[in-house]
Amino acid sequence: MAYYVNRNISMTWWERSYIPEILKGMWLTSRRFFYNLFGFLPFFLGTEKERRIFTVYYPEEQVQYPIAYRGRPVLAQNEDGMPACVACGLCEIACPAYCIHIEPAEDSGKQNQYERWPEVFTIDYAICIFCGNCEEACPEEAIFMSDDCEISMLDRKKMLYTKEQLLTPVADLQKRIEFTRNMYAKWNY
Amino acid sequence: MWVDLIITLVKIFFILAITVGFFAPVLTWVERKQSALMQDRIGANRADIMGFTALGLFHIIADALKMFTKEDFIPDGANKVLHTIAPIIALVPALLTFAVVPFGGQYTLFDKEVNLVISDLDVGLLFVFAIASLATYGYVIAGWSSNNNWSLLGAMRTASQMISYEVTMGLTIIGVLMVYGTMRLTEIGAAQEDFLRWGFFLQPLGFIMFFTASIAENKRIPFDAPEAESELVAGYFTEYSGIKFGMFFMAEFIEMVTIGALMTILFFGAWHIPFLPTATLLSWFDFLGATGSNIIVMLIQIGVFFGKVVFFIWFQMIVRWTLPRFRYDQIMNLGWKILLPLSLANILVTGLVILALN
Repeated sequence: MAYYVNRNISMTWWERSYIPEILKGMWLTSRRFFYNLFGFLPFFLGTEKERRIFTVYYPEEQVQYPIAYRGRPVLAQNEDGMPACVACGLCEIACPAYCIHIEPAEDSGKQNQYERWPEVFTIDYAICIFCGNCEEACPEEAIFMSDDCEISMLDRKKMLYTKEQLLTPVADLQKRIEFTRNMYAKWNY
Repeated sequence: MWVDLIITLVKIFFILAITVGFFAPVLTWVERKQSALMQDRIGANRADIMGFTALGLFHIIADALKMFTKEDFIPDGANKVLHTIAPIIALVPALLTFAVVPFGGQYTLFDKEVNLVISDLDVGLLFVFAIASLATYGYVIAGWSSNNNWSLLGAMRTASQMISYEVTMGLTIIGVLMVYGTMRLTEIGAAQEDFLRWGFFLQPLGFIMFFTASIAENKRIPFDAPEAESELVAGYFTEYSGIKFGMFFMAEFIEMVTIGALMTILFFGAWHIPFLPTATLLSWFDFLGATGSNIIVMLIQIGVFFGKVVFFIWFQMIVRWTLPRFRYDQIMNLGWKILLPLSLANILVTGLVILALN
């Protein structure tokens, strides 16, 4: 069925005379112009703490992402330098894109000794879809989504991050850890 | 004799320096920066020399370098000669108009009358229109010689649009001529010394119509159907690259300055400051002697003139980045069915008022 557009828009005489409506539009745009032209002044003069213009000079200035933001997944690193991961492989299975590869290593597990840890842990960010399933699947609070999204490379092979590149101290991840605890507690795991 | 020649050469140099040397390059930057500010963006700020960006002003240098070093491409089947001279035909009239545009009044420097206009023609206004319509040839030849459908369509649109709006423009000016009784642009400017005799107050309708028609003449949004990017790629200069494209670009920006200058002279009191006649201004600087006070007043009035021109350029940019493009039939409707009758009515009313006052 053909779709007809109703072009009989009834305009008042005021709107039909163009000029007042055009001036209204130009008043709006020129107001934005002057607002943005002088809007940085109070911030630079120190009378206001926040900048009025919300446009960000991106590479020089960074925006603080909200804590729920899913950037690249990273491995949590305990205070003694070992990964919190026990190489159970759940994240590897949960990953819908198959970008995680784990090779475990084991030891006898005596006092003050790690029983199991990943010998090889790689994530290929060229394949990763940033879904956060690995974080959700992890029983050991070892893998977390960070707020880093700047992982563009000139070579795809460099997108394959090794364990050493992935390890991030637990202290840096505290906020995200608390966030995930709250969030997954709601879902009754 | 020699003094006259030197004065004329200085004036020509000044005009060239301020249009080609200052306005044309700086307006490319202003266009980008102002549109950015109006749309809550930041605009060009990446070109830097040793880490200094100077608010993006180095983009002018980058643009110029790019224009000069780009390959000068002539498409297959194009008429090489016409394709080459078309941008020149488009650019020269834009510059030539300034020959009769006064940028200041008359001053006495070292017992010598200096008239701040290169050529004080008694048919100045007609000369402006005659030369401005010559530019149409440049655009049409550019579109035709490119051997490209889009270019030809753009050229046809240019021709029809410029012819339609030149009629309105000419008829609008008749109102101004009736009020001031002269075609000499310097006299029209001098007649507006009194604030209440500015063309804006005597010819308010003429002001709006002249502004509309001149934007249409310059083919900028909302009247940019000849070069509509979304329809015709780039209209008549689709097949141009390098400095030839730059010449079309420069012609557009210089025409913006021309429009600003004409609006200032015809409707906005030329080089006069409101409620401040030149004689009063001269008497303030009497302590500097005759020549000294004249020089100071000359500089002030040149500054005032170009301040007004800058205001009109700003206004044109606001219009360009606020309004959407008219459809082709809407342009023709506006030109022939609205502006033309209105300009005729304007002449009638002006004539009746002048008759009643006499």
